[in-house]
Amino acid sequence: MTKAKLKYGLFTCLPVGMVCLLPLLSFVLPLKKQVTIWMIGDSTMCQYDSAKFPLTGWGMPFAEYFDSSVTIENEAKGGRCTRTFIAENRWQPIIDNLKEGDYVFIQFGHNDEAKNYPDRYTTPEDYRKNLIKFITESKDKNAIPVLITPVSRMKFDVAGNAVETHAVYSKIVREVANEYKVPLIDLDQMSIQLFQKFGSKNATLLFMQLDPGENPDYPLGIYDNTHFNTYGARHIAELVLQGIKKDNLELQDRIIEKKKKN
Amino acid sequence: MKNSKDKSGLFINLLSVVVFILFAFQQKQKITVYLIGDSTMADKEVIAYPETGWGMPFHYFFDSTVTVDNRAQNGRSTRTFIEEGRWQPVVNNLHEGDYVFIQFGHNDEVPTKKSYTTPADFTANLEKFVNESRSKKAIPVLITPVARRKFDANGKIEETHAEYTQLVKDVAKKLNVPLIDLDKESQELVQQFGAADSKYLYNYLDPGENPHYPDGHKDDTHFSELGARKMAEIVLHDIVKLNLGLASHIRVVHQQEKK
Repeated sequence: MTKAKLKYGLFTCLPVGMVCLLPLLSFVLPLKKQVTIWMIGDSTMCQYDSAKFPLTGWGMPFAEYFDSSVTIENEAKGGRCTRTFIAENRWQPIIDNLKEGDYVFIQFGHNDEAKNYPDRYTTPEDYRKNLIKFITESKDKNAIPVLITPVSRMKFDVAGNAVETHAVYSKIVREVANEYKVPLIDLDQMSIQLFQKFGSKNATLLFMQLDPGENPDYPLGIYDNTHFNTYGARHIAELVLQGIKKDNLELQDRIIEKKKKN
Repeated sequence: MKNSKDKSGLFINLLSVVVFILFAFQQKQKITVYLIGDSTMADKEVIAYPETGWGMPFHYFFDSTVTVDNRAQNGRSTRTFIEEGRWQPVVNNLHEGDYVFIQFGHNDEVPTKKSYTTPADFTANLEKFVNESRSKKAIPVLITPVARRKFDANGKIEETHAEYTQLVKDVAKKLNVPLIDLDKESQELVQQFGAADSKYLYNYLDPGENPHYPDGHKDDTHFSELGARKMAEIVLHDIVKLNLGLASHIRVVHQQEKK
């Protein structure tokens, strides 16, 4: 073999070989940049200790559907509204740790709108301001805020129609998303449709509804139309995952999808 | 006078605390509950979620003295569970007072499956589990195979394990083993939900609903989170009904009444 031939061979083989190696490398080396999803919100989203089982926030099953390039930081906390979340210094540490390309999933409303609980209540004006604060400060750090309307409470009218339970506060979320060009997941609407699909009798299966003596963790029974059990939380997480796809967020490529059968 | 009364009160209080602590320590020996069985009981890989074995929620209901060690495996019969060397390590690790919860049948009873186990071998294997558990002073509990979702044209649930469920009962009777008739009790639950709504108990998913099952899924054997939890609750209630010592290790929660 002449020197020229060898050189020629090297020059063609090397790039071809590298191109062939690339797909292989993509399996070995994580080519996707690591991102964190910061979840801020209330009791419908938060983590629960196993002592409360089957009480489950939708952020818990949500974390089971991403590949290893995603870290979930579920900072949601029961009883918190946008106002107290900020006042208790839960927001600032997140801002301090936000990296470019991270996501901030924002779902509040249940406690903001609760007029009977002055320690939780946030006026519509302040609610709007706080959402805008979350958004602009996230964007300042080149992170991607995602606004989520508050997941619905279970409420059916006499005709068996699932009805809106967050009308005023969900509308504010939609308006802010529109005004600030922020991806929106309209979980309120999606969850109302989900409850409708189950119907008034079966929708209870999604919630913390246990007969007395059924479950040792709730000996007196429980009838809760706001908080989800394991089964309900997973259904809500599915809606949020569907919302990520609908919004065409880059994050959708990090959802672990089992291959479709042909 | 007041002072001495206080002192004696204090002494009685201290004494009762000491007695309580001694009592608590003596009562609450650390134990392990081994679960051996098939896919309806097994822990699942995350990629299979939301399919849930009833052994998964079963973990949550005990106090800190109990470790639930779920050794159940998808697709296993009594025969393949033993052949693959899954039983011997359980026996080796068993301590006095441990429990062995045994639920097989789904894969034993199907002649076309590689895991098929003849009725005679099924009986012999159950007896082996029972006798070897007892030789280590552990407590075996036999469980009939949990129901499949199968209804006749009139909306009445159909028995799907008749022969093998009876074999479990026979062994329980012959060797005087505590029995949880999960087949019967889960059938009652599934019947209560009815032909249509019982699908909520099983792993039913619409196409596009869940990333782990993009084509959707219809499964009349394996449970959703809801079904698995309901099955675990049945087992838990029977632990109490059977008056097993394990019942005293179920977490006691003093739930506050809602105002």
